[in-house]
Amino acid sequence: MAERTSNRWLQPRRVAVLAMNTFTQLVRMKVFYFLMVFAFIALASQFFDLPQYNGPEAVGTGELQLLKGWCIGVMKLYSIVFAITATALLLPKDVEDRTLYTILAKPVPRIDYLVGKLAGVLLLILVSLLFMDGIMSLLLEVRTRHVMATQMEFAVSRGWSQEALESLRRDIGAQGLTWSLQGGVLAVFLQSAVVGASSLLLSTFSTSTLFTSVVSFLIYLVGSFQADAAEFYRATTEAGTTSFASLALKLLSLVFPNYQLFNVTDVAIQGQAVGFHAIGSLAGLSLFYVVLYTLLSWIVFSDKEF
Amino acid sequence: MSEFAVDIRDLVKDFPSPLRGVKAFRAVDGVSIRIRPGEVYGLIGPNGSGKSTTMKALLGLLAPTAGSCAIFGKDSMKVDSRNDVGFLPENPYFYKHLTGAETLRFYGRLCNIRGKVLETRVSELLDLVDLANARDRRLGGYSKGMLQRIGLAQALVQEPRLLILDEPTAGVDPLGSRQIRDLILKLRDRGITVFLCSHLLEQVQEVCDHVGIIFQGRMVKEGRLDELIAVEDQQEIVLKNASPELIARIQHMVGRTPGTSLVRIGPSRTTLERLFLQETQGGGE
Repeated sequence: MAERTSNRWLQPRRVAVLAMNTFTQLVRMKVFYFLMVFAFIALASQFFDLPQYNGPEAVGTGELQLLKGWCIGVMKLYSIVFAITATALLLPKDVEDRTLYTILAKPVPRIDYLVGKLAGVLLLILVSLLFMDGIMSLLLEVRTRHVMATQMEFAVSRGWSQEALESLRRDIGAQGLTWSLQGGVLAVFLQSAVVGASSLLLSTFSTSTLFTSVVSFLIYLVGSFQADAAEFYRATTEAGTTSFASLALKLLSLVFPNYQLFNVTDVAIQGQAVGFHAIGSLAGLSLFYVVLYTLLSWIVFSDKEF
Repeated sequence: MSEFAVDIRDLVKDFPSPLRGVKAFRAVDGVSIRIRPGEVYGLIGPNGSGKSTTMKALLGLLAPTAGSCAIFGKDSMKVDSRNDVGFLPENPYFYKHLTGAETLRFYGRLCNIRGKVLETRVSELLDLVDLANARDRRLGGYSKGMLQRIGLAQALVQEPRLLILDEPTAGVDPLGSRQIRDLILKLRDRGITVFLCSHLLEQVQEVCDHVGIIFQGRMVKEGRLDELIAVEDQQEIVLKNASPELIARIQHMVGRTPGTSLVRIGPSRTTLERLFLQETQGGGE
């Protein structure tokens, strides 16, 4: 006989069961095939030559930036598209197949179901990103060593001073494998978590996967441009100074996360340092939105009838 | 502790119309059902009569517009009431990516069963529903009857005291249907309360001891099956190898008794289903 425990909300074991089931479901839908595509793209980026606008000494760092740019770009695209489509697909599919009935007919609080589903999608994105990060790091490390050797040889042959050589070494090292770059990958994951949570919210009141996906992408676009739009509005009108407009803008930025904040990835690609503080703030902001969207999802889902 | 396994009181369920000014559709109208532990209760009615809505309200999948539903005394809208319930929906599609054993493990873990206890339970249930040979096959490759049986197994995974079955044999061939019926009888013998709804009347007649007839959302008849189907002014005598002389004597005796008449005489007939089972399985009843 099953152990009769109290069915308190957010029981970690139960959420983990639902998350692992979602993870397995997605893995068996063969989504990992995409990782092979990623590996191919990352390898292909090695064979592109850059136009030499900035002189031969900049070619090496440019190549490293290109590699990082390709890899992070593909990671971002994959995680956003996957966070939206997978989250938008899973819930309506469970309702349509009546699998949801059998789950909710067990002692499973609805919040556990929602959190489990989201956690499963995010787990898959995390595992995929770790894999892609591994490939990128490996290629970047190999490439950095090669660039370092070539550029140093070039600089020595030109008779650069010791100080200039050291500066070159630092510049190339900054374009290689750094903690800032790992922070950039973490930012990609955090952004996908927020996007996935917003998609989950939409899927709780929408009955169509297509609607959820399209609106989620729109929300992502609005979030990506809302800071610029708000700034433009403030700069071009007097309204930005009134309390009502100010409140409306704040409300808008509360509902739609400012996805430009996640562009620390660009900083990492440029080889500049991304501080712990910036990543910490981003993690806090992401957590806020994930919790907010999940709570709103639960409020809608708890009264939903099937 | 309530004396009823199921206690539905004056249940009303309205589905509001999305159009303004259009009256809400009343799917269930003042239905009351009480099932004592150990009973097999059949709710019968035509399609759209409110059977599934009643079951969903009992499981907390729908909120009653009025009235209340309780399982072993616990309000159906509370999660705790689901500790003692197993549910098989109509035409269920479980996760196709899981095997039979994985499906049962998944539902077992949701009910907080783990480790050796879970593994033993999974094997027991697969044996019970005759799917031990298909335990490692993915559900995507299961037939309709196999899906119903794995559905029944998942409903039983936490050893519930109440089993709710919505059209358990819908779309299943007569052999599969018979297997499911036999399982229900087995469960009844183990003391599990069964609440099933169906529009297959013969099936309900075979397994249920209490029946409710629902029509257009209202309960029109309810009671013990043998009382409901008994024709009060008629008696039945079934004879085996009776000679024509004996039959003639009986007819003569009946004819001489005032107020008594012979309604029908002739060879007993089997049902088409029994004939089918006899021919395909070499058995039947």
